[in-house]
Amino acid sequence: MERRDFLKSTALAAATLAASRLAYGQERAAVAPSGAERKGSGLSWQKAPCRFCGTGCHVQVGVEGGKVVAIAGDQQAEVNKGLLCMKGYHVGLALYGGDRLTQPLLRKGDKQVPISWEEAINIIARRILQDPKGFGLYGSGQWTIPEGYAATKLVKGGLGSHQIDANARLCMSSAVTGFLATYGVDEPAGCYDDLDTCDVLIMWGNNPAEMHPVLFSRVIDRRSRGEKVTLIDIGTRKTRTSTFCDHVLRFKPNTDLAIACGIAHLLVENGTWNREFVEAHCAFRAPSEPATLQGKAISFEEYRKLLAPYTPAHVEQLSGVSQKDLRMLAELFGRKELRITSLWCMGVNQHTRGTAMNSLLHGLHLLSGHFGRPGDAPTSLTGQPSACGTVREVGTLAQALPGGRSVTSAEHRQQMEELWNLPAGRISDKIGYHAVQMWERFSTPKEKGGDIHTLWVQVTNPAQTLPNRHKLVDPSRTLPDKFLIVSDAYPTATTRIADLVLPSAMWVEKNGMVGNSERRTQQWFKMVNPPGQARDDAWQLIAVAHRLFELGFEGMKDREGRFLFEVKKDGRPVPIWDFARYYDVNVDAHLFEEYRKSTRLKHKDLAPYEEYVKARGLRWPVVQQPDGSWRETRFRFAEFDDPYVAKGRGIQFYHSTSHDDRAQIWFAPYEPPPESPDGEFPFWLCTGRVIEHWHSGTMTMRIPQLQHAMPQAYVELNRADARRLGVGNGDQVTVETRRGSLDLPVWVGGRGEPPEGSLFVPFFDERLLINMLTLDEYDPFSKQPDYKKCAARVRRREAREAKG
Amino acid sequence: MPISSLVLTLEGSAEQRAAVLATLARDTRITVGEPQAGRWLPVVTDTATLEEGASLAESLRELPGVQLLDVVLVDFSEGAR
Repeated sequence: MERRDFLKSTALAAATLAASRLAYGQERAAVAPSGAERKGSGLSWQKAPCRFCGTGCHVQVGVEGGKVVAIAGDQQAEVNKGLLCMKGYHVGLALYGGDRLTQPLLRKGDKQVPISWEEAINIIARRILQDPKGFGLYGSGQWTIPEGYAATKLVKGGLGSHQIDANARLCMSSAVTGFLATYGVDEPAGCYDDLDTCDVLIMWGNNPAEMHPVLFSRVIDRRSRGEKVTLIDIGTRKTRTSTFCDHVLRFKPNTDLAIACGIAHLLVENGTWNREFVEAHCAFRAPSEPATLQGKAISFEEYRKLLAPYTPAHVEQLSGVSQKDLRMLAELFGRKELRITSLWCMGVNQHTRGTAMNSLLHGLHLLSGHFGRPGDAPTSLTGQPSACGTVREVGTLAQALPGGRSVTSAEHRQQMEELWNLPAGRISDKIGYHAVQMWERFSTPKEKGGDIHTLWVQVTNPAQTLPNRHKLVDPSRTLPDKFLIVSDAYPTATTRIADLVLPSAMWVEKNGMVGNSERRTQQWFKMVNPPGQARDDAWQLIAVAHRLFELGFEGMKDREGRFLFEVKKDGRPVPIWDFARYYDVNVDAHLFEEYRKSTRLKHKDLAPYEEYVKARGLRWPVVQQPDGSWRETRFRFAEFDDPYVAKGRGIQFYHSTSHDDRAQIWFAPYEPPPESPDGEFPFWLCTGRVIEHWHSGTMTMRIPQLQHAMPQAYVELNRADARRLGVGNGDQVTVETRRGSLDLPVWVGGRGEPPEGSLFVPFFDERLLINMLTLDEYDPFSKQPDYKKCAARVRRREAREAKG
Repeated sequence: MPISSLVLTLEGSAEQRAAVLATLARDTRITVGEPQAGRWLPVVTDTATLEEGASLAESLRELPGVQLLDVVLVDFSEGAR
């Protein structure tokens, strides 16, 4: 058989198998072809999670001649069941953009000139030694787990500060605080299996059809097989998701809190709340003075009284959602026989009231008892492949320590000092700066309190993704003694303004582990070499740590004076700081085995590294069984599946903030947003993503197929607004906020069709930086900024102006 | 010469499904497998470039009668040689 015919017959067999699984469900599917079975094509195949979003699809990566040449959906992966989305389809090409960074670059004047790794590592070490507490590390939900762990250990265990934060602060920290306020512990109780069994799926400000398409397909496929699933879209604009929904509810920006309170009000007043569930498992909370994440305990009667103003008529007036629709939602939540899953992501999290809204959504599920059965789950999705695994679980945040620990707890600090074998008191009790603060301090002169002098950015692009860049980023570039280091695979808006640029290996050019939205920890091995001198991010961190160690910096030594990142093979230390020796051992496995010792405190138990090598990910807690095998947990806090629930308890919230195994049902009032449209700035501006591009487009804008499909940013306008402004598709307009202005082409009748008075602009395009305009106000608990609403105005650019 | 392996989920009506199958049959770049439960259609596309492959996949997604398009595999090894 010709090679080409072989490839085609393999492709048809794979498609037929996938179609069969979709048609008949998993049970009737044939055994998925493994990598080994496909070897006849001359390719070698290995598993890896997709590099892009937080869904955590597994792909099979085909390698030939040292290059990734094929991508297949992994038939053995429970998440995606062999299927991929448009971006996953192209993930292999993300490695092969024509302008990969291949050597360290140092700014000299207005140029960035090549230097050696040796010099680059020395420069960073010297910057740290100058003032270790003024050094900050800004990482990412795209850091692998071992990378994030190394970064955390370097800063928190080595430098004795907590000046480390991550871009996940911008995308999911309100989900974290919502979970903590409700359950006392982070991350969803349910998992993607809920999508296979729910009767009702409510998407709150969420667009999974474009942002988590493989998950959305799971639900749509159920419908195609004849199952009844009611889909409800509650959002501020039409999306591709809306077109599949039975009910589409449009609300005025920021009024989602009123809607949630309105549903709770109806459940209480109609007597359709689940008294039995609530009395057994829940308590009530309201905001306290001063405001804390724990709030104050209230009685049911007080809760009821606080909800009293949220009548359907009042909520309709505030939100624009009809009384009929509000009653429909309350009626669904009031039906105990239904299984209801809620999904949310950036629409709820990127919100100055994000913590409150997250808590209210959990509260609706608890109040109605739609919790703890498959299909009954409040589930927040993440946007990055390891926002959960790395940022939330490892704790690469200014207030966190690994395994769900807190910087402010003496006990937690002591536990980490034991694990890291550090002298007592090495770990600081002072919380570091959160992302916005960190960049603000970096952009403030030293004499005015700008005490961050050096920032090292890894695996993210803050010059494009931070809000209000004029304030948070640009001033640092003209201040003396502010030094920006950026590790990335490609030139970005951030590398371009950096003082030192470090070329990074990406995805299957290195070993890795990540954790997706459903608590699933995933692993892969290096398959191809990175280009030029690009190197692993974890190696970069360890090399700097070792240079500090060589220079005698005490922080890089443990109690016995050994290097903090010492790795031994056959009883002898391996010089992993020398990149030529880095893969003499599996550094990832070493870091992970150390990290996993920290995960039991909050019952986020992880299995040994080798278990993840065998699996397509495992959902924590992963608990060893009497026969020695390791069992994952799909549904937390529910006795039928969670081994940490005491026998006979049914449901047990074993990290309850009230220490009585109860979850908290919060009341949180609607409050107006910090900035609303007015006579001067009459539009709402919302920003977000598009299906073709991932985040700031660093990878996807270099994949020609995706770049051509969506070549540049735009502003989406309602037809009526476009008519009033006298503009049509392709016309240039100037969008302006109190923070800046940007010229953009108009798109009318596009995917989003924002309601009258609203604009939508995607943020993937570094040439059209919408985050020059966005608001840097943030949630008081999570410190997460609101990218979804600020006031803007639009004016048509005259032809002459547009040319100029 | 990339080869892509896709699954199309077709709409419920028999007329729409027939129209989709007829459209696919006219395109020599497309090989159609046996429909599963009538609605899930395995499809392989063989195009000159990856860009053409992506464009063809997008046009299939937009085809009346196609509800969803899922990607199973893409092999671009021939083009990489």
